Amino acid sequence: MASLMRRSVAELVGTMLLVYFGPGAAALLLMIAARESGPMQSLTIGSLGGLADWLAIGLAFAIVIAMVIYALGRVSGAHINPAVTIALFASKRFPATDTVAYIIAQMVGAVIGSILFYLSAGLDAVTIGGLGATAPAAGVTFGMAVLAETIGTFVLMLIIMGVAVDERAPPGFAGLIIGLTVGGIITTIGGLTGSSLNPARSFGPMVGDLLLGGPDVVAAFPIYIIGPILGALIAVFFYDWVVKED
Amino acid sequence: MKCYVCAKEGRDTDAVAVCIVCGMGLCMAHAIREETDVWEGGYPFPAKKVKDTLPRILCPECSLAMKGEK
Repeated sequence: MASLMRRSVAELVGTMLLVYFGPGAAALLLMIAARESGPMQSLTIGSLGGLADWLAIGLAFAIVIAMVIYALGRVSGAHINPAVTIALFASKRFPATDTVAYIIAQMVGAVIGSILFYLSAGLDAVTIGGLGATAPAAGVTFGMAVLAETIGTFVLMLIIMGVAVDERAPPGFAGLIIGLTVGGIITTIGGLTGSSLNPARSFGPMVGDLLLGGPDVVAAFPIYIIGPILGALIAVFFYDWVVKED
Repeated sequence: MKCYVCAKEGRDTDAVAVCIVCGMGLCMAHAIREETDVWEGGYPFPAKKVKDTLPRILCPECSLAMKGEK
């Protein structure tokens, strides 16, 4: 097994790529929408193509998640999500020291991913695109957003359990199926909360926006800690209970 | 079963092994035993090399081919 340092670097790079391409796609979509309709318009994702906007963002997430899982899954496990790491730790599948190192690496990687996207796309990515930061849509309360994030991450963790953690799972499909599942979840929940499912994915753009003068979404950040961690924990214990032989 | 390599050289030697790739009978002189690493784990856990290895018997021809030398 690779050393904890190498595995943490793999988590950092994996999360960096996730945040560059996933939230990057969201930021880019807002930038394109601004070009199409003028910067004075009040823009949201969906302005250009409705639900297809979310499908496009979901596809960007799906592809980069599949890529990271296939490229780095053998090295670190490619969690690239603190909620997944915490759920595996809570179910005694992952050691505590590794859990702390992984979460730090994921958070740092997410911030680097956001900064790299800003360096690639320019200041519009921050001022118009908000670096793809997550915040609930108008009319979605804190409680509604936490519920949506919990359900979304429950589905994500459930498929991870079924297609990867379970020893009876057919090998080779995890990256593709998990990536597509995230894409599907984003298509539905994206319009409600931004569909983070991942505290690191929200943390990177939030910090990037704070550093570079983008929108302040700090108040919404607890949604993306509580919902994903809760959803992942429920999924892991639900799966362990539901597959138990009588 | 007789050793195929020896038979081609006109000798009659009993085989003690079979090449896992081509199925050729092999005597002790021509059987090549290679140790293959075994890995466990993989997504979402880091893969780790198991302490024990798996033996693999190959004929000289397949052994070269597996190493990309033929």
